[in-house]
Formats: sequence, C-alpha cells, structure tokens
Amino acid sequence: MTSLIFNPRFDRRKLLKGAAALGALQVASPFIIQARGETPIKIGMVDPLTGVYAAPAGNEVMGAKLAIEQINAKGGMLGRQVELLVEDSANDVGTGVQKARKLIERDQVNFIIGDVNSGIAAAIAQVTAEKRILHIVSGGHTDSITGKDCKWNVFRVCNTTRMEANSVSNVLFTKYGKKWHFITPDYAFGHTLYDACTDDLKKLGGTVTGNELTPLGTTDFSAYLIKARAANPDVLILLVQGSDMINCLKQVVQFGLNKQIHVAGTQQELESLAALPPEARVGVWMFEWYWKQPGVPGVEKFVADIRKVNNGNVPTARHWFGYTSAMSFALVANKEKTTDAVKLAAALEDFELPDDVKLQPNKVYYRKGDHQLMTSAFVGEAQSKGKDDPEDLYRVDEVVPGDKTAPAVSETGCTIQWPA
Amino acid sequence: MKAEHTRKLIVLAAIWVALLLAPYWMAPLGGYTALATRVLVLGLAAMSLNFLLGFTGVLSFGHAAYFGLGAYGAGLTLKFLALSTPLALVAGMLLGGLCGAILGLLIVRRRGVYFAMVTIAFGQVFYYIAFQWSSLTGGDDGLRGFSRQPIDLGAFKLDILSSANSFYYFVLFCFALAVGVMGFILRSPFGRTMIAIRENERRSRFLGIPVERHIWIAFTLSCFFMGFAGALYALVNNFADPRGLHYSQSGDFVMMAVMGGMRSFWGPLLGATVFVVLQDYLSSVTVNWMSFVGLLFVLVVLFFPRGLLGFFQRSKA
Repeated sequence: MTSLIFNPRFDRRKLLKGAAALGALQVASPFIIQARGETPIKIGMVDPLTGVYAAPAGNEVMGAKLAIEQINAKGGMLGRQVELLVEDSANDVGTGVQKARKLIERDQVNFIIGDVNSGIAAAIAQVTAEKRILHIVSGGHTDSITGKDCKWNVFRVCNTTRMEANSVSNVLFTKYGKKWHFITPDYAFGHTLYDACTDDLKKLGGTVTGNELTPLGTTDFSAYLIKARAANPDVLILLVQGSDMINCLKQVVQFGLNKQIHVAGTQQELESLAALPPEARVGVWMFEWYWKQPGVPGVEKFVADIRKVNNGNVPTARHWFGYTSAMSFALVANKEKTTDAVKLAAALEDFELPDDVKLQPNKVYYRKGDHQLMTSAFVGEAQSKGKDDPEDLYRVDEVVPGDKTAPAVSETGCTIQWPA
Repeated sequence: MKAEHTRKLIVLAAIWVALLLAPYWMAPLGGYTALATRVLVLGLAAMSLNFLLGFTGVLSFGHAAYFGLGAYGAGLTLKFLALSTPLALVAGMLLGGLCGAILGLLIVRRRGVYFAMVTIAFGQVFYYIAFQWSSLTGGDDGLRGFSRQPIDLGAFKLDILSSANSFYYFVLFCFALAVGVMGFILRSPFGRTMIAIRENERRSRFLGIPVERHIWIAFTLSCFFMGFAGALYALVNNFADPRGLHYSQSGDFVMMAVMGGMRSFWGPLLGATVFVVLQDYLSSVTVNWMSFVGLLFVLVVLFFPRGLLGFFQRSKA
C-alpha cells in the first residue's frame, strides 16, 4: 500500500502528457469567439498594470470602469451598451503598441484610453492616428504629447509638466524665497519638469543653487541631501515620484532638513502621502485632483461611488483621470450622434465638461489648439493628519484654473494636421 | 535515409505553408496579423541568437544590444537621412553588425560565464547611451516621429504602412531571406566548423582551426542578423526605445531559444511563437502572466532539456 503512495502508477511521460493537455486547454479557450448580440461600443484601455506604475494604472482602470457603469445605467452610447477592454502594456513600449493594435485590429474598439507611461502613450498615439481612432491620454505628463508631437485624434486629461511647474512656482517664490535647489529623477519626465521649473524661476528673478540628478529607484538620498544642505537654498524642490518620493521625504525629515529649509515640489499624489509616516507629510505641492472639495457639486457622490469599489478608500487623481477619459467619449458621442473619429475630434475641441464629470470649481475644457484639457491645479500643503478623515492628508489652499497654468498654444509647439 | 529526407522536406513545406497563410488562419482563431508579424520578427531575433548559442555553443546575454542598435539604426535613418524602408533595414543591420564586429574582438577571448557577463556589460553600455543621449535617441521617451515607407517596386507600390497583410508579407520576405542565408552558412564548411567548436573546442584547436577567429565571425554574423531583426522591429512599432537594448530583453531571447530548442534550426521560432502568443493572451487575462510564462520555462527546462521542438522530434523518432 505504502509503495503505491510513494511510487504512483503513472510515470513521468504520463505526467507530461497530462500537463501538456492541461496547458493546451488553457491556451485553446481564448480562441473561441463568443456569440455576440447587438454589438456594444467598445472602449480599449492600455495601461501598465504590471511594473513601477501598477498602482496608478490600476486606479485609472477603476475610475474608467465606474464611468462605463454609469454610462450604461443611463442608456449607453448612441443607445448601445458600452464595453471596456483593458490590456496590460507591462510598462514596455513594444508590448503597449502591440496591445493597441490588438484592440484596434482584432477587437475593433472605437476609442482608446492610455497610458500612464508618457513614452508608451506617445507610441500608441502614432498607432491611433494611423488607424484613425479617437484617443485620450489619461496619465502621461510629458509636454510633447500635446506639444510638438500633437495629433488631431489625441487629447489629454492630465496636466503637462509645464502646467505643473507654473501652478506652484509663483507661490513658492513669493512665500519661501528665491534660491532653489532641485532633486530631479534622471529621466524624461524629470528633465522636462526641471526645465519648466527653472524657466519659471528665471522669469521671476531667482537662482538655482544646484540640481541633484537621482536614478529612478534610488533608496539612499543622504548624499544628495547633504549636498543640498551645503548649498544653503531657501527652498528644496523634490521632483521625484512614487517610491522615490517616499524614500526622499522620509530622509529629509530624518535629517531635520525641513526645519532649516522649506521643502516643496510640483506633482504630489495621494498614493505617496498615504505611504509616508505622519511626520514626513510635509511641504507645498500641487495635486492634479483632490477628493475633498466641500460645496463642489458631484464630488461627494463620486467619492462615495469609488469608496464602494476601492475597499472603502477615497479616489485619487488617477481615478478621476480614468473616469473623465471614458466619460468624455460618451458625452461627445451622444452629443454628436456619431462614432466617426474625425467628427468627434472636431467636436471635442473647446468641449466643456459638465459639473458631474469635471468635479472641480473652475471651467474645464479641451483646448482647441493643442487638445490639452484645461484642468485645475490644487495647490496646497501636505498635512500629517486629517481633521475628520484619516485620508485627508492635504490642505488645498488654492484651485488654479488650467487657463492660468498652461502656456499659450503658440508656446507649446503644437500644430495640428487634420487628415485629408 | 531517404524516408528521413522526405520527412524533413514535408516538415519544411509545412512550416512555410503555415507562415504563408498565417494572416488567413490566425484571424478565425482569435489572433490578428500584427501578432503574426511580431512572432516573425522576434523569432528571427531568437534564431540569430541561436546561430551563436546553438551552433557555436557560446551564450551571449547581451544580444538585445545589437537588436536595439538595429532598431535605432533603422529609426534614425528614416527620421534624419532618407524616407526609404530598404535603406533603413540596411542601415539598422550595418549598425548592429558593425558594433558587434568591433566588440566581438574583445568579447571572444572569454568563455563560459565570463563570455556571458562581458556581453551583458557591453549591452548595458549601449542601453545607457540610448537612455542618456536624449537629443539624438529621445532618451527614455524613445525615438519616434518616423514610420515605415511604401516600397516602390517600379510597376506598383507596396503599401506596407496601412495594410497589415502587405506588411506581414514584406516581413515574411525579409525573414525568408535572412533564414535562407543563415541556413546556407550553417550547411557550408564554415557552419560545420562552428559545430565542431561547439562539440569539442580543444580538439578543434588541435586540428588547427583558429577557434577565436571562428567564434568572432559567428558572433559578428549573429549580430548582423540581430541588427536586421531589430530594424524590422523598429518598422513594426514605428518606434525604438532603450528597453529594446536592455539585458532583460536579451533574457527573453535566450528564453525563446532554449524553450523552443536550441539545437535545432527552427526551434527558436517555435519558442518565440509560444512566448509571444502566450504573453499576448495571458496578459489580457491576468496581471500575473509573467508567473505563467516563467512556470512554462521551468517545466520545459526540467522535462524537455532539448526544448519543445527537440521533444517533438524525439517522440516521432
């Protein structure tokens, strides 16, 4: 009996055959195309669900899903149901492009949303322009997408790096002083953000005492912080993001640097503040969207809806990006009564978002010249503890409208060429 | 002997028929033409790596560098030099191949794990150059703003930009060309010498074969093929980015070659097919798709040390 347990009656070959059959079953199943009833309108979404940007990408998808639910509850798009197809770009350009092609060629989507990574977003934009598909970039910030590489079919919801810099530069300069020292992540996003900040500073008449370029994924910032302290600036500007931001701020507080120099930066995200210990939640920043806006219509309902699907947590700016991107398609398509990409792109120019989508006090619209959404910057200060909600980690001082932060269209370098 | 020969011919014919008809049988099965194009290009890259790994017996872990150089070569040509697809392909191949030829001189002096490590090191050098030289390569954002151009055949123009099928057949033609040359080299006395080196390096040396020079030539040829595959990849994406040069990309190529079967000529193509299709399908289903691809790789290495194709051939024999 025992020998049967220890020497089962199947040999390696049988095991292999079984495993192969099982494996084949897994692969074979996708190739069965399900029967379709009335064809729904499809929105494709490409986002880096694995890799460094997994958290923000996941939140964008969650926001987009909520939007689809609400659209369908209200009767869908042109009387048809809407379906969201999500693909993982794995934070890799080749994969992202391949997934965009898959969505367009095989799944025949009408619209595309994505990507968090600016490089992938730009590469996908080439595909969508070639295939004439309306495309909204939800979360890639690099200027060129609505700047020198702008396209007739590409719109963007999140801010450009210029807009981020412009929103806080003035406040920092007048409040804290004119000698700035930078800690910049050493890649495209960091470089353009640094250029934008220093341009502003020069215009205001300030000086840069130095710039520490840190590789993506740095854990030990002590050497950079010692150099920054020695330069004796008025303000220390942190441009790093994600886990780099968390490590850097922690060490700034451990060094007591925030007691000697004002700590500030441009883009800050709720995801990062939540991951910090209370004493390290310091500094002046800009949020691209914030969940606590007393008196602004629609916000409370949006927060409550997201809490239901987000383990009770509040929405971040990324939820709003995904939500607004999907909503924009439905709004404009229902208004124009068509899914034709060229007509819809023309209709989206200077298209103003209604209260229950924009979820902020100022006027929000897709600007005609460069297709950039004129969305507000929420300038304020991080706070160690929320007054009545543990997730209220930020105090908004000023909501600056997008018109004030965005450079004029002529300065973006964008000239849109429409298809013949 | 004769039966084996006919069987070989049948298999070869089957492979080419499957490749020629790919756009027609992939769509009903849930695939799409662009996926088949990607399989061809990555398959060619894996076969180029296998030219070195399987037939000369040295493992390069930095071949993505020459792949990426090919992509940048093609992209830069289309963007700055001339709007010509064939010229871009040639430029990409030359950039990848020549860099391989120069660095190969330094690399071939090492063997085994040291060879692999030196190739990684040189590969990463190119990765960081592409990453940092933003003004030329676009840095982390990648090189964009170019697209493949229609091919002028005199009598008519082949529109490979908007027609997915035409582009597939164009890539298949390039693939056939490269694979033909590769097969021809392997059948030549030089190819036999490579296999001799793989089987017993010391004995080949005693026979008077200049081993270092042969490995260098094999390495260079492999880099030329790799550069060619990279140039095609740039045309597939209309884009080149530094991650294409990264050693993790080299790892993917090695994985394709080993999974498919590194002793056989067609093995890496099978490996690339499995890898690309699995990645494409699984990543739409679960975000943990990498675990499944990894699991498959572990199973293949444990149970089919000769790769998937090696297993099929053995079970038939």
